[in-house]
Amino acid sequence: MMIRWIRRFEGWFGAAGAVFIAIGLYYGLAASPPDSYQGEVVRIMYVHVPFASTSMTCYGVLTVASLWYLWKRDPLVDNLAHASAGIGVFFTAGALYTGSIWGKPTWNTWWTWDARLVSFTILLLILIGYLMLRTFIEDREREARYAAILAIVGAVDLPIVHFSVEWWRTLHQPLSVSQRGIAIAGVMLYPLIFMSIGFYLLLTYMIGVRTQMLYLKQLLEAKRGRLLGEVHS
Amino acid sequence: MNFFNVIRWLAWKDLLSEMRSRENISSMFFFALIVILIFSFSFSTDQQTARELMPGIMWVAFVFTGIIGLGKSFTAELQNDCLENLQMNPIPRGAIYLGKLASNLLFMLIVELILFPLFVIFFNLDVFEKIPLFVLILIAGTLGVSSVGTLFSAMTVQIRAREVMLPILLLPLIVPVMIGAVEATGGLLRGDPISLYRPWIELLIVFDVIFTIVSFWVFEFILDH
Repeated sequence: MMIRWIRRFEGWFGAAGAVFIAIGLYYGLAASPPDSYQGEVVRIMYVHVPFASTSMTCYGVLTVASLWYLWKRDPLVDNLAHASAGIGVFFTAGALYTGSIWGKPTWNTWWTWDARLVSFTILLLILIGYLMLRTFIEDREREARYAAILAIVGAVDLPIVHFSVEWWRTLHQPLSVSQRGIAIAGVMLYPLIFMSIGFYLLLTYMIGVRTQMLYLKQLLEAKRGRLLGEVHS
Repeated sequence: MNFFNVIRWLAWKDLLSEMRSRENISSMFFFALIVILIFSFSFSTDQQTARELMPGIMWVAFVFTGIIGLGKSFTAELQNDCLENLQMNPIPRGAIYLGKLASNLLFMLIVELILFPLFVIFFNLDVFEKIPLFVLILIAGTLGVSSVGTLFSAMTVQIRAREVMLPILLLPLIVPVMIGAVEATGGLLRGDPISLYRPWIELLIVFDVIFTIVSFWVFEFILDH
């Protein structure tokens, strides 16, 4: 069963993630040179980029799990979806937060209406709405079903949001400063690779733990309900 | 009953009960009027700036009133267990969605068409030769809001805190509609050449098609036992 597999291997993912992130931090903070153009500020990239890619992966997991749930109605898959949405809030908020800190010295603004920023904000809003929706439904099966529907509709919406905002900006005023498309030297690539792998391992670990927690909580509730039922009858 | 009859009867039923009670349209209309007035007071600017802000104000008012109407669309079905009855009937789920979508779209469009002359008066617009294109933008934008909105209205009606959850879920998703509708309306009213704002109308139509199909498909999972 899937839950056994999670219980058995999640610790390894956590430990490996810690090792990779530690190596990545050493390379990123100490061993790599400051950028010739951006200086020391560039080091925030080593957390920002992994945050951004893991948060998109989170939404991917959420979408696939939601489709799978509507198809097979497996409660554990719903727990997986629920877990990845919760963890997704953390990573998306992290991406926006670190991006904002990076934006201040390089773009000279905390915030701009760039397509990526807007679509990440919408992503965060959808994830928070998803978690809120789940708290407002008593029936467990209906909660899972409605949440899955929201996740799927959101998944269809996000690319459209991205393209429409991109279009909106290019038709209006081109971004004054754009750092995209800079080539990365090898020395700077290593910490990025280590951090990315570390973040993905951490993500797997966190989703594993959270899925297990949600699963056990439901198991506990079901058992308690059965016990109470026996007492009352 | 066949598919199209279900759609027609559902929409007709909503329309009939609206004609008798006039609850929905009148509350939507006065709410929109108040939103417009509040906006006009908070941006007390000259005529020129007001005109630039106008498309945004107009669509915010339309979307907010749409949310009022959408919220009521399925709550009306809770009385006398109508929703249960709808669910138990052996009629295609998609037809229920399309019937509700039709009535929601119609209510929103009626309110918008009543409000539009007020905009013309308040903001001094000269629009008479632009009306056909404007109506197209209006329909495309409103369909975008109500296609996703009808789905979420059916979803939030059976949960706690439904008045809060509908806008929280709906508004982030219709950002493309807002951008497209505001840009297209702005371009039209400024008198830009059509090639400048046609992409926005196309965006609206693409959004409408995609979300009507997706909502039609997932609606089956909402009314499901």
